Amino acid sequence: MLTIKNLHAGVAEKEILKGLNLSVKPGELHAIMGRNGSGKSTLANVITGRDNYNVIEGSVTFNGIDLLDMSPEDRALAGIFMSFQYPVVIPGVNNTYFLRAALNAKLKHQGLKEINAADFMRFIREKLKLVDMDEKYLSRAVNDGFSGGEKKRNEILQMLTLEPILSILDETDSGLDIDALKIVAEGVNNFRNGKRAFLAITHYQRLLEYMQPDFIHVLIDGKIVKSGDKSLAFELEEKGYSWLES
Amino acid sequence: MTYLKQQFDELLAYWPDENEALRSLRMEAFNHFNELGFPTKKWEEWQFTDFSEFKKNKYRLSWAKDLPNIPETIPGKIEGSDLVFIINGHYQSQISSMPDGVTIPSHLDVFEADDQIFSASQSGNPFKALNTAMMNSGIVISVAPNTLIKKPIQVVYLTTDLSDPLMNHPKFVFNVGENSQATIVEHYIGSTDQTYFVNPVSHVTVKANASFNHIRIQEENKSASHVATTEYDLEADSRLNAAHFSSGSKLFRHDIKLNFNDKGAEAKLNGLCLTESHQHHDQHVMVDHQNDACQSHQLFKYILADKSSGVFNGKVVVRENTKQTDADQSNKNLLLSPDALMNSNPQLEIYADDVKCAHGSTTGQIDPEALFYMRSRGISRPKATELIIGGFAKDVLDSISDENISDHINQKINNWLIGSQNNE
Repeated sequence: MLTIKNLHAGVAEKEILKGLNLSVKPGELHAIMGRNGSGKSTLANVITGRDNYNVIEGSVTFNGIDLLDMSPEDRALAGIFMSFQYPVVIPGVNNTYFLRAALNAKLKHQGLKEINAADFMRFIREKLKLVDMDEKYLSRAVNDGFSGGEKKRNEILQMLTLEPILSILDETDSGLDIDALKIVAEGVNNFRNGKRAFLAITHYQRLLEYMQPDFIHVLIDGKIVKSGDKSLAFELEEKGYSWLES
Repeated sequence: MTYLKQQFDELLAYWPDENEALRSLRMEAFNHFNELGFPTKKWEEWQFTDFSEFKKNKYRLSWAKDLPNIPETIPGKIEGSDLVFIINGHYQSQISSMPDGVTIPSHLDVFEADDQIFSASQSGNPFKALNTAMMNSGIVISVAPNTLIKKPIQVVYLTTDLSDPLMNHPKFVFNVGENSQATIVEHYIGSTDQTYFVNPVSHVTVKANASFNHIRIQEENKSASHVATTEYDLEADSRLNAAHFSSGSKLFRHDIKLNFNDKGAEAKLNGLCLTESHQHHDQHVMVDHQNDACQSHQLFKYILADKSSGVFNGKVVVRENTKQTDADQSNKNLLLSPDALMNSNPQLEIYADDVKCAHGSTTGQIDPEALFYMRSRGISRPKATELIIGGFAKDVLDSISDENISDHINQKINNWLIGSQNNE
C-alpha cells in the first residue's frame, strides 16, 4: 500500500531523513519509534505533503501512485489521513461544518452524493459515541477551547468520519491521560480491519500497550536501524535507544 | 473648489424660499468648508487617505431630472423589513412603508427642535461641513416613546444609471424614543460604473432606556467615493448595537463619534471591511465616556485582498471624574495578499481612576497551519481559505441578532470570498 524507498528529506537545507525504507501492507499497524529529532514527524509531514518539507531523493508511492507530486488535499482524497500531534484551532469555523465539508469533499471525489446537514448530524452522533465525546464539541469552532484530550478525540473522530485507508497517528498518545488514551486506542482498534493500515508514530511504548502493532521500527538519525515485532517495544523500554546507536 | 461653489449657488437658487435659519446654516457651513478645504497629507487625522480626487473630479448635485426608472425589484432588499427607498437621492414614498409608531418628520421640523444636530461649524471635518451646506437628501426616522418596532426598517440608498459624475449629501436622523426598541439598516448600494460621490451624515439619538440596532452596509460601486460621518448620542441606560459592513467604493472614509450623554448606557460597535483591487477603507472611531457606568465594546475587522489598504484609528476617551467605565476596543486584520496594507492605531485616553479598559490590534495572514490542517482533510485550498476567512468574520456577523439581516450579509461575504479567490 505505502512504499517508501531511500527517502532523503528535510526542512530547508537540513537533511533529516537520510535514506528511509518502509513498506506497509493493508491491515498492518506499524509503529515508528524514536527519540525527539530522529525524524518521526518529518516522515509524517512528508507523507501528508506539508509545505516547507523538501524531498531530496527517493520515492513515496501509495497504491502505486507517486505521492510526492500530489497536493495535501489530493493525498487525503486518495485515502491518507494524519492525526495531528498538535491539532490546529480554527477560530470561527464550526466543527460540524468542518467535518461535513471534509466528508463531502471525499464523497464528491468518489462521485457520490454529498450528505445533507440532517443526515450528517445522525451520522456524526453515532461516531461521537465511539470516542466518548460530548455533543457540545460539535457546535464549537474547530478545536477552539478543547483540552488536549478533547483535541485528540476530535482527531480520531475525523478519522472515523473520513474512513481513510492509511492513518498516520502522530504522537496521538501525547498529552492524554490514561482514560482518554484507552478511549482513543479503542477507537483505533475498532476501526482496524484487513484493508486499513496504520502508522503510529510515538515516543513512548505506552500507546502500544493498548494497540497491537504488527511491526515496530526504530528510527535513529533519519534511518530505520532496527525492525521487529512487538517484543522490540519492550526491549526498548528496558534498554533505551542507546544500544542501537552506532 | 469652483465646481462646488457653482453647485452650491445652484442649490440655493433651486430652493429660493428655504427657511432663513436653515439657509444661514448652509452658508455658515459652506464658509467653514472653504476655510478648511479638502484634507491633505499634513492633516494628522486624515493623513493615510488620498483625497486629491475631489480636486480632479467635478461632481454635480443630483436634481429631479436625475430620477431614473424605479427598478422592479429593489436591489439589496432584505426580507421581513420595512423599506425606505431613496434612488439617486430622491425619496420614493410610494414604495416605502413605515410601521405604526414611526414617523418621518421633515428635516426642518428636526432642525427647529434641535439645530445642534445640524451644526458643523466646529467639527473641523470638511466633509461634514460640506454635507450641512449641501444637504439635498436623506430622511428623518423617529420612533415614538414606549414603542417596540419588531420589523427592521431598511433604508436603501441606491445610486444608479448615471451619465456624468454625481454627488449627494444625504442627512439622516434616527431618533429612538424613551423605552423604545428599533432596528434600522442604513444600506448604500451602487449600480453604475460612472464615478460618483456620496457624503452622508447620520445622527442617531437613543433616548433613555431605549434600545437600538443600527446596521450600516456600504456596497457602493467601486467607481464611487463614499465619505461618511455617523454620530451617536446615547441617553441614560440606553443600548446601542451597531454593526458596520463595507465592501464598496474605491475610497471609503467613515468618522464615527459616540457620546455617552448620561449614565448607564452601553454601546457595541462592530465593523467589518472587505477590500480588494485598489480599494481604500479608512475608519476613525471616537468614543467619549463623559458619564458614569457606561460600557463600550468595539470590534473592527478588516479583510484586505490584492493591493487594497485599510486604516483604523480608534480612540476611547474616559473623562475626568467619571466612574465605572468599562471600555474595550479591538482591531483585527487579515491580509490576503503581500501587497495589501493596513494601518492600525488604537488609542486610549484615560483621565479617571475607576475604569476597566482594554485595547489591542493584530494584523496577520491566513494561518498556514490552519490551511494545511484543512487540506489534509481533503478540503481544497480555495474552500479551506474561504472557510478560514469566513471564520475570521464570524464574530462581527454574530453581533447581528436579526436572522434575515445576518443571512443577507453572510451571503454578501460569501460572494465576496468566492470573488476574491477567483481574482488570485
